[in-house]
Amino acid sequence: MDSYGSSDKSRLMAQVKQEAAMNNARQLIEKVNEHCFEKCVPRPGSSLSSGESACFTQCMEKYMAAWNVVSRSYINRIQQEQGKAGAGAGAGGMF
Amino acid sequence: MDAQSALQQQTDVDLSKLSANDKAELQQFIVNESQKARIQQSVHSLTDICWKKCITGGITGGKLDKNENSCTMNCVDRFLDANFTVIKHLDSLRGQ
Repeated sequence: MDSYGSSDKSRLMAQVKQEAAMNNARQLIEKVNEHCFEKCVPRPGSSLSSGESACFTQCMEKYMAAWNVVSRSYINRIQQEQGKAGAGAGAGGMF
Repeated sequence: MDAQSALQQQTDVDLSKLSANDKAELQQFIVNESQKARIQQSVHSLTDICWKKCITGGITGGKLDKNENSCTMNCVDRFLDANFTVIKHLDSLRGQ
C-alpha cells in the first residue's frame, strides 16, 4: 500500500518536471524563432538560403548564451535582495 | 489539448491514498517547482527585453561579444532597479 502510494507520488513528480521542461523549451524555441527570424531573414526569399540557415545556428547559440547571462545575473540579484530583506523578514524569501 | 488535461489523462493518481509524509513531500515539491517555473519565466522575458536592447548589430558569431555581455548584465540589473523604483513609488503613494 505504502509503496503503491509512493510510486504514484514519484510518477506525479516526474510528470510535473517533464511538463515544466517542455514549457521551458517551448518558450525558448518561440523566442529564438522570433528574434533570429528578425535578424537572419530581413527579406524572405523563395527558400531559406544557406547563409540564412547558418545565421540561424549562430543566432540560436547566441540567444542561449544571452539567456544564460540573464539567468546568472537575475539569480545573483535575487539572492542579493533576499540577503538584504532576510535580516528583517527571516528565511521566507520573496519567491 | 492543453497541458493540464494531458496531465489528468496520463495520471490517475488518487491523492487520498498518499501517506501524510508523501503528501507533505509532494506539497513542498510543488512549491519548489512553481518557484523554479516563475524564475524561468522571468528569465525568458528579461532575455527578450535585453536582447532587443543589447544585440543591435548583425549576427557574426555564436557568442556574445564583450559589449553585448556587459550590456546584458547591466540590462538585467537596471530593469530590476526600475522595477523596485516603481514599487517604492507606489508604496509611497499609498502612505499619503
